[in-house]
Amino acid sequence: MLLTLAFRNLWRNQRRTLLTLSAMVISAALLILALGVFSGMFRDMLASATEQYYGHLVIAHPEYHLRRDLFAHLPDDIADQLALQREAEITGQSPRLRSFGLLSRPETSQPVELLGIIPELEQQVTSLQHQLTSGHYPSAKEHNGALIGQGLARKMKVKPGDELVFVTQAADGSIGNDLLIVSGIFATGDSRHDNNLVLAPLLWLQQVLVLPERIHEVAMVVADPMTAARIADRLATDLPEGVGILDWGDLLPEMREVIAAYDVSRMIVVAILYMATGLGILNTFFMSVMERTREFGILMAQGMRPWTVRGLVLLETLLLGCIALVIGVFCGAVMTLYMQQVGIDLSGYITPVTYAGGTILPRLHAVFEAGNFLVPAGMLLLISLFAGFLPANRAARLDPVVAVRDL
Amino acid sequence: MIPYRRTIISNTLAAVLLLTLSSPALALDVQSLIREIEQQYMGASSHANTTMQVRTAHWERTLEMEAWSLGRDYFLVRILEPAKERNVATLKRSRQVWNYLPKVDRIIKIPPSMMGGSWMGSHITNDDLVKANHIDEDYDLRLLDETATHYLIECLPKEEAAVVWGKIVYRIRKTPRVPEQVDYYDEELVRVRETHFDDVQQVGERIVPLQLTVLPLEKPDEMTVLRYRDLVYDLPLDETFFSLRNLKQR
Repeated sequence: MLLTLAFRNLWRNQRRTLLTLSAMVISAALLILALGVFSGMFRDMLASATEQYYGHLVIAHPEYHLRRDLFAHLPDDIADQLALQREAEITGQSPRLRSFGLLSRPETSQPVELLGIIPELEQQVTSLQHQLTSGHYPSAKEHNGALIGQGLARKMKVKPGDELVFVTQAADGSIGNDLLIVSGIFATGDSRHDNNLVLAPLLWLQQVLVLPERIHEVAMVVADPMTAARIADRLATDLPEGVGILDWGDLLPEMREVIAAYDVSRMIVVAILYMATGLGILNTFFMSVMERTREFGILMAQGMRPWTVRGLVLLETLLLGCIALVIGVFCGAVMTLYMQQVGIDLSGYITPVTYAGGTILPRLHAVFEAGNFLVPAGMLLLISLFAGFLPANRAARLDPVVAVRDL
Repeated sequence: MIPYRRTIISNTLAAVLLLTLSSPALALDVQSLIREIEQQYMGASSHANTTMQVRTAHWERTLEMEAWSLGRDYFLVRILEPAKERNVATLKRSRQVWNYLPKVDRIIKIPPSMMGGSWMGSHITNDDLVKANHIDEDYDLRLLDETATHYLIECLPKEEAAVVWGKIVYRIRKTPRVPEQVDYYDEELVRVRETHFDDVQQVGERIVPLQLTVLPLEKPDEMTVLRYRDLVYDLPLDETFFSLRNLKQR
């Protein structure tokens, strides 16, 4: 009975209710869209960092990540020893050896980071093969083919086919040095990699460093990056002494912070926007309650309890909230879907930005994430109830004797 | 050859003057003292066979090398042993350093960013090769302490000098005038490296320590020992010997 009454009351001033409703729908829908785009940006950032370089999980000597110590190495069949291929969640794994040294041409030398990789395996983890600007990804047949960043190629004035010398200190103390032939050039938009990173065959680097059959890490990717930490924890229990596992959150602590902070900043954005919407609701219901003073007076004179009056007004705001929620979530989902499928390309206006270890791509692109719907929806209902509370209280406190005289 | 002879004469003169004047009552010319110490291995020109032993936590190796120098600005060293690295060579001309790598037959110029890197895997850096001989130009020197037998000299970097050390302290024996120990401090003025000079010998007219030990203090079990053998001074060498072409020659 109360529900029917509340529903009817809502539509007594159709224009006002519709205006308030549309404000609520629009704010909810836009919030859902904006949060979807934010999430898309974070996804891009995380994907750029993990797909360009790190992977989602890394198996290495426990000390290796801290000091990048040349001597903190593992056997190159560590992945087989750990039977990682049996882990269904791990979709790619790449053994790597890392060296810091000097890349040199007759005219110039540049300090670089060189990753020794097996091309077929590395392509399962990083996606540099999709970011080539010239040449080709080194094939397994090229014993000294190298993939180098675009910024580095520019500084050294090299193109595919050119020769380079790599010099570093080998593990036996000697000066490790050998020739590389540029196979391809990549551009990720992240200057640290574009200006500094070289990929070369694992076997070649093992010879240069005098570290036969040794690697520094196995980089791996998993289906859902958000599950990486959980998988790392599970795998960590079975690892032998001297082998550790890190997830992307350990490798990119700033990124983890940024993504964790997102949950808080999402609440703040939602709260600010809804504050305005809430004031609108508050205004509507104050007006509505004031107009109905005489009506409430009569209802109470006939025996309606103050609590029931309060409940009636709250039910009205809650009903309005529910309607706004259904329409708003629907509109938000449709817009998010559009941004997910189509998106907006901004590459004509801005260049990629590197932030917290990842790259923010010049595009607006949304992803679906449950929290981006649940938080705005839940908050909308809360704010409706909250905004209804004061008018409801006012209605409940009316003195029927005075109220019925109100005209 | 005349200019060199003139330098030798003036150097000798300066040395003689210094020796005679170095009574406590008279102010010591710290600048020329350090210059003298830093240049003692070189003379106008020098040639030596050297053995370098390097010990680190992970490996230990011994290099046999042949070295030439001219003044404070020219320096060429070539590895003789081990066979794997035979003919790897380093050339220094004023403040620039090149390495020759026979395996790939390439000369590589060490860029400024790598000057702090290890030279030939030892605890001596490329910077040491370049800057050591310019201590008196890059640092303000002052006499820290003087005992009956020793001078203690402190070097603080000049404001505009691009140097790696926060402080250097020389311990120099008075007679014969040779360095005994040099301590290197980082920018936080923490002592990070010690160099010891031992086996003082007469070589021609000079008295020089023939063994140099470098101890990186943060790695207590590591060290580099450099020994000079067959040290000869004042050879007929000129700048053209220290060329990139000669760096490659075997």
